[in-house]
Amino acid sequence: MTGRLTIMRQKTTLALVALAFVLPATTTLAQSAAASRTRAHVEFLASEKLEGREAGSAGERLAAEYLASELARLGARPLPGRTDMFLPFEFTAGSRDGGSRVTVGGRTFAERTDVQALSFSDDADVSGAVVFAGYGLVVPESQNFGYDSYAALDVKDKIVVVLRYFPEDADEKTRAILARYSDLRYKAMAARQRGARAILVATGPRSPNAGQVVPMTFDTALAGSGIPAASISGAVADALFATAKPLRDVQQELDSGNPHVAGFELPGVTVRLRTSVVRERHTARNVVAYLPATAPVPPAAKPFVAIGAHYDHLGRGDRGNSLASKDEAGGIHHGADDNASGTAAVLAIAETLAQSPQPRRRHLLMAFWSAEEIGLVGSNAFTASPPVPIDQIAAYFNFDMVGRMQNNRLVVQATGTSPAWARLLERANVAAGFDLVTQADPYQPTDVTNFHAAGVASLAFFTGSHPDYHKPTDTAAKINYEDLDRVAAFAATLVRAVSEMDEPPQFTKVDQPTTRGTIAGVRVTTGTIPDYATEVKGLLLSGVVGGGPADRAGLMKGDVIVEIAGKTIANVYDYTYALELLRADQPVKVVFLRNGERRETELTPAARR
Amino acid sequence: MPSFTRGFLAPALLASVTAAAQAPAQFQESDFLSRARRLTVEGRRAGEGYWSPDGQRLVFQSEREPGNPFYQIYALDFATGETKRISPGYGKTTCSFFRPRTDEILFASTHHDPRSKELQKEELDFRASGKERRYAWDYDPEFEIYTLAEKTGRYTRLTNARGYDAEGSYSPDGQWIAFSSNRDAYNRTLGAAEQKQLEIDPSYFAEIYIMRADGSDQRRLTRVAGYDGGPFFSPDGTRIIWRRFDEKGLIADVWTMKLDGTDARQITDFGAMSWAPYIHPSGQYLLFASNKLGFENFEVFMVDIDGRKEPVRITYADGFDGLPVPSPDGRRLAWTSSRGGGREGQIFLAEWNHERALAALTAAPNRGQTAVTRRTGI
Repeated sequence: MTGRLTIMRQKTTLALVALAFVLPATTTLAQSAAASRTRAHVEFLASEKLEGREAGSAGERLAAEYLASELARLGARPLPGRTDMFLPFEFTAGSRDGGSRVTVGGRTFAERTDVQALSFSDDADVSGAVVFAGYGLVVPESQNFGYDSYAALDVKDKIVVVLRYFPEDADEKTRAILARYSDLRYKAMAARQRGARAILVATGPRSPNAGQVVPMTFDTALAGSGIPAASISGAVADALFATAKPLRDVQQELDSGNPHVAGFELPGVTVRLRTSVVRERHTARNVVAYLPATAPVPPAAKPFVAIGAHYDHLGRGDRGNSLASKDEAGGIHHGADDNASGTAAVLAIAETLAQSPQPRRRHLLMAFWSAEEIGLVGSNAFTASPPVPIDQIAAYFNFDMVGRMQNNRLVVQATGTSPAWARLLERANVAAGFDLVTQADPYQPTDVTNFHAAGVASLAFFTGSHPDYHKPTDTAAKINYEDLDRVAAFAATLVRAVSEMDEPPQFTKVDQPTTRGTIAGVRVTTGTIPDYATEVKGLLLSGVVGGGPADRAGLMKGDVIVEIAGKTIANVYDYTYALELLRADQPVKVVFLRNGERRETELTPAARR
Repeated sequence: MPSFTRGFLAPALLASVTAAAQAPAQFQESDFLSRARRLTVEGRRAGEGYWSPDGQRLVFQSEREPGNPFYQIYALDFATGETKRISPGYGKTTCSFFRPRTDEILFASTHHDPRSKELQKEELDFRASGKERRYAWDYDPEFEIYTLAEKTGRYTRLTNARGYDAEGSYSPDGQWIAFSSNRDAYNRTLGAAEQKQLEIDPSYFAEIYIMRADGSDQRRLTRVAGYDGGPFFSPDGTRIIWRRFDEKGLIADVWTMKLDGTDARQITDFGAMSWAPYIHPSGQYLLFASNKLGFENFEVFMVDIDGRKEPVRITYADGFDGLPVPSPDGRRLAWTSSRGGGREGQIFLAEWNHERALAALTAAPNRGQTAVTRRTGI
């Protein structure tokens, strides 16, 4: 499961808060290795030899070889028209500034503390007159709100300067709306669409992280987004505004949120901007094969049923998404649960169906994705240019972190993608006996997101997070193999049921809830770790980040936050939405339930960079 | 909050009850329930699961088919996982029960009402408007008790009285049906105050009746103002257990009586809404639901069959846990819970630890001074 805060596609807020996990370790059941269909796979994939299976690494290549040989052993074949099971794709493993510089008047800034390309910037060398466009916010007309930083400005062929974030002093409703459109990619797109030559972003003196350049965020884009984009320091901003009012005063006017406060051309200022982003490109491989149907495919078509799991993990955790503590840093991240467990489940399902004497009316497509951990890149490469037509796939089942079941609880996500799922799940679970938690939402931080986006009826299986998530301690010894085998057996009955259906499951597109907060707007952290596997009214904490705001406020695992800053909280989305409106270092009241008792505390959010 | 007729009195939702102080928890759920898990998945809501006498099936009510926003009755087969609809598919239905030693299943339904489909559409339109209903249950006077003979697929109507006839269950020998009806409000002329009462809360007039399995020999057993409902026979078939609300519909308690309505005894006394009782097949104790810990927080409790001891809490989850029904072998428990998320219930299933239940009841303190005086055993 990817834990990235920012990835290419729109992500749910789930990833946002899943920063660390502090649940007590689970008890691993004693079990016989011989009986397990999954144990040997997990133990090999999570072994030292594979070095954490980082996308593009030697360990990842070894894992891919292993998977291909296991698939071949089961009688699987390369997809039609292909000679082997490897589907390579290119990805960006990271990016850094390659020497951006900006010249204002006669003064050139080239230090990284003064100017730094945004990760999605084009490489370019441009110059031109400069227009200040306020916060650079454009609320689409469909929102009936009326806020357009460019309404009175002509920025064609100009270099646009905008402020980071959104108006600081606006009323809550205004902030809530503007926060949605404050993502820097979105601001850059707005400038590009109006013909701007480049966009410069300054963090205003009245904002958090005042005067600092924006850190180069991890971005898996292979190329720039069509406009040179860089962030600049307070010193550069001051040079730009030398002939105008001081930026602090300008920002203060804008901060009321009044949509009629317009931007302006900076008189007599010419800027030359050179941007350079160095993207580290690698090749990784999806491993995909299929077991041909052994009975005539129903005439209603969609002849494939797909099962998949990502097999990559974090390597030694150098790409910024490790949650290793200081003394664990740099160690091999074994990724036994994330996601040797799901990989093993897919192999076990394939083995079960391959060995079954029952005829299969659909082909079983088995896919192992790479580069999931850096933003679902492998599965996206597959759905973007599918080697079998995507509308030939009747259903997709995803397995990500299915090896640490607790209390018999199995989370099945994306059930909203087909009206067929509830009945199938109910029927299969009568015998399987899981305490099923169903979640309609397919916008999950795992590969199922891409299949929903591609119009495939999907399900994602998940057994919940744990304290070893994204740490070197996610090892094979901690896997609950007995229940992992049960998950695979349960899923195999579902796969078989779909294989037998005359009509493939009807696909239902699930809209992203509009009341959901977005990463772009969230500027603070409260250090809470929500429990996603248990549905309660409120935000149930599976832990708090040690030393973080929630920890300091005395919150702990098991508490249910029901109100923050006067906003009632019914679920994680309400919470993210409420976070958008909080300010760093300004204490707010938190109402929570502990053992059913209503309590209050004061929490001071911290700034998120 | 789910709506269930075998005990849930909707108007009372509007009022408030002072929750009794929570006693320190002596037990946890896993002491009595193991391998707890959600059984029903499909549809918006499901509840009131009752076992077949052989323990192989469960009959329940669920809203799970497009076009009908009311409950229909379904039977789930544990061996195959298959679920089939028992009721006709239109109108409102509730409260099903397997008839022992036969292929018949009982339930209450309004499907003979020519307005059934119109009412379904009205309810769907109402939901689409985004409003919330004030009342969880409307005690439609069209409700009548039916049986389905599964082999022939034939429906037989057993009651004909104007008024709500529902909440039926069979005696262990399958020869008698206990049920609840507010027919009394429709078969005599009501005074102005009573007429107003009927408009506000038709369940006020509900009383316990019994009849033979063919619908003959209908007899009224209770005559106390306030909602009497949810009757079930004791495992030995000698008594009926049910819940009785006070006149305001705020407080409910579990009672038992003989089949002729005599020897009525109050078993619970929480000063809260205690309802949906069902006797364990051992005959030694009964399970019921109560909101004594918080108005919207129903939990399952158990108490010895005479109600001498303090009830022992069984479930520990926010929201609704109620309508507990032990399996015929006494080793499993089906109940209705909102613990899966949302306001609506689904049916959950767990292994039931009978020995620990007995031990906990033996160790439970005797009931305090406020307990009603009662006689020995039933």
